[in-house]
Amino acid sequence: MQRKPLALAVLLSCAGLAPAAHADEAKLKAEVEALRAEVAELRGVVREMQAQRAPAPASPVVATPAASTGVAVAPAAAVAAAPAATTAAGQPVPGTGGSGVALGANTSFWGYGQLDYNRPTARAADAQADLTRAVIGFNHVFDEATRVYGEIEWEHAIASSSDQGETEIEQLYVEHALAQNYGVRVGLTLVPLGLLNEHHEPSNFYGVERNFVETAIIPSTWREGGVSMYGNTDWGFNWNVGIGTGPNLGAWDPAADEGRISPLGSIHQELQLAKARDPSVYAAGNWQGIPGLLVGGGVFTGKIGQGDATLPVDKSRLVLGEAHLRWQPGPFDISALYTRGTISNTQDLNLQFLGQPTPVPKSFWGGYVQGAWRALEWGSDSSLAPFLRYEMFNTGASYAAQPLGLGTAPLPTQHVWTLGANYYLNPNVVFKVDYQKFRYEDLVLGYGDRFDLGLGYQF
Amino acid sequence: MSLLAVLALIGGGSAVAVAPSTSALAELGRKIFADESLSASGRMSCATCHDPKFAHAQNNALPVQSGGANLDVPGFRSVPSLRYLNLNIPFFFASDGTSTGGFNRDGRANTLIEQAQRPFLAAHEMANGDAAAVVDKLGRASYADEFRGLFGADVFARADDAFLAARYALAVYEATAPEFRPFSSKFDRFLQGKVKLSAQELRGFAWFNSPAKGGCAGCHPSTRAPNGEPPLFTDYTYDNLGVPRNAQIPANADPGYFDLGLCGPERTDLAARRDLCGAFKVPTLRNVATRKVIFHNGYFASLREAIEFYVQRDTNPEKWYPLAADGSVQKFNDVPALLARNVNTSEVPYNRHPGEAPALSELEIDDVVAFLGTLTDGYDPVTDTADPARDLAQP
Repeated sequence: MQRKPLALAVLLSCAGLAPAAHADEAKLKAEVEALRAEVAELRGVVREMQAQRAPAPASPVVATPAASTGVAVAPAAAVAAAPAATTAAGQPVPGTGGSGVALGANTSFWGYGQLDYNRPTARAADAQADLTRAVIGFNHVFDEATRVYGEIEWEHAIASSSDQGETEIEQLYVEHALAQNYGVRVGLTLVPLGLLNEHHEPSNFYGVERNFVETAIIPSTWREGGVSMYGNTDWGFNWNVGIGTGPNLGAWDPAADEGRISPLGSIHQELQLAKARDPSVYAAGNWQGIPGLLVGGGVFTGKIGQGDATLPVDKSRLVLGEAHLRWQPGPFDISALYTRGTISNTQDLNLQFLGQPTPVPKSFWGGYVQGAWRALEWGSDSSLAPFLRYEMFNTGASYAAQPLGLGTAPLPTQHVWTLGANYYLNPNVVFKVDYQKFRYEDLVLGYGDRFDLGLGYQF
Repeated sequence: MSLLAVLALIGGGSAVAVAPSTSALAELGRKIFADESLSASGRMSCATCHDPKFAHAQNNALPVQSGGANLDVPGFRSVPSLRYLNLNIPFFFASDGTSTGGFNRDGRANTLIEQAQRPFLAAHEMANGDAAAVVDKLGRASYADEFRGLFGADVFARADDAFLAARYALAVYEATAPEFRPFSSKFDRFLQGKVKLSAQELRGFAWFNSPAKGGCAGCHPSTRAPNGEPPLFTDYTYDNLGVPRNAQIPANADPGYFDLGLCGPERTDLAARRDLCGAFKVPTLRNVATRKVIFHNGYFASLREAIEFYVQRDTNPEKWYPLAADGSVQKFNDVPALLARNVNTSEVPYNRHPGEAPALSELEIDDVVAFLGTLTDGYDPVTDTADPARDLAQP
């Protein structure tokens, strides 16, 4: 009943502002026209340079994953001008800061790697060194609109039946540009949530290890199979929507610890013979209309029972949402992210898991704020960026009630301070050091004060 | 072993024109399973010790059964249930060294066919001595023509082949007959959402699963397998529980005799693995409430008492083990003193000490007993009772 007067008031106030707005609009139009003319001129110059430098390639291909959501404002990029984000042929290449290596006119390969040393401060005997991951990727351009893109990863140095390492295809999709500013992808793609998942190369994040929120709550590196569309607008908005596979709740193991380490990480399927009755959908967007500022968010949802008739999971639905912000004024790099997930209809399932250490959570969440400062620079390539990050997260914030008081109490919320520095030998080779302070220790879940060293690279 | 592989072995001199059907083999196996004439005494069949009405386990409270020509030669271990054994896996050491799988309480047989050999031959069981004696009896059985029809007219002329054929038929019967894997307990219906567990059963289920309470699910997992198969309440591993020595087993009259499971004396290939001495296979808990005796040496005749032992073994050892002349408790008295270190003292609920509270209170033990009762096959929701005999095929 009170909405009408309110709407009227808004209308009148807008009308009163109209003349001024009109004048501003005309001025803005003139500025846009001038900018368009400049862009057209620059395009011409670029084309001339490309023609002089390389054999004629297929025309600029579709955007890279990095460019697709526009989040790729990597620490490396902030340090110094990264090597060209295009190949010598002028094409965009995979990776967010590396230049890749061209293999002929239409194919390039690239890679990144990460080596870590973790030393718990209270238990030196548990210190561990690991070749955490080595990745080789490729990008092949079929024609001016179509390419295939893949990423193959080895984790923990050796992958065999008697070792703990893994070999995995982290991304593999065909991308087709339907127009200059939007296109479609089909295959195994990264879920475009958060700041890290699509930009998980070590030179793109602060700290030796990926932050907890974007591994425990958003299970980076999270990928699903399906179809997605992406695009961008003239006003700096990048979007990505998709439909495809989702987690499989039937794979939940209440006796294992994985579900408390990362609820979704324990049941995502990574397109390995994925149960796929119930499609999931997602939508994400990022706005970069102001230089140095990125504001975005996304949501992923779907039923995750996948038709498992042996468990009461048919009605369970996952909803995971997140919002993030990144601001890079001058030498500073400030970011914040909040994410929360829910899984519905878990009561009957958890009744079958009564007393088990890891029932399915009803909700889980996390958030962090991080500040970094490019304090020292040497030449145009090297720099030192100390940072401080504060995280809060809970992988079992609530559980569905159970009879007789036999339900599970929420897990305590973990708080982690991380203080460290990234030293960029150049934008694509980074040495890292940090110290992490946890509010409470849980060795099973990997929580414990520690000192970390790391090396990362990408090309 | 596949049907074709067995038939190739059995085929010998006379070709088997058409591979026998599974149903025909199972039917023959059913007859062999119940045939007392196949024993030296003429009074013992597989079903004598593995009584179908008692979930294919023993129907009396003796710690060991006696066999032989006069049924007076005592055995060494209690009788395990044969139910769900078709889902068992061959013996192997997991990548972390954990002993896993195998048939018999020491895992020394890898298949149902291999497992079926010992009972026919062992002096304390059917006591045939060799394959020829078994086959001689098979040739005179009422189903001998049926046997010939399946495996060849001259099959009884080849003793080893005929013995293998008989065990193969038994294995097919055990692997395919629904009564060996009925999944008909109250707990199965609970998993299917068809019945509710009582408050006491639910509490017992929680204590059973909880790592801080019973910790039972650590070895007896209660969740479905990744392929959706209902839980079997065994992880197929081995454990050394330090069960008290059972003086009622005649072999134990010899103070130098110890049944040490994986490392012997019945199993011989792991005799040098002293670290495995005293470990026995973790059995399924399905139908455990129908067991007349519990554990490999049948020391306990009450399920409740067995659970009490689990949780009070280390808090109240004097309750379970004899006292020495000086009043000290002779803990773990069924393993040689030098091997007592093999007994599991690190996991819940064994990780306690005298004076500490047991992992489960008396009421909680009652709850767990109530829960274990839901694992009995042949559940009738009308009367809320279970009887494994309900699963048997009607004649």
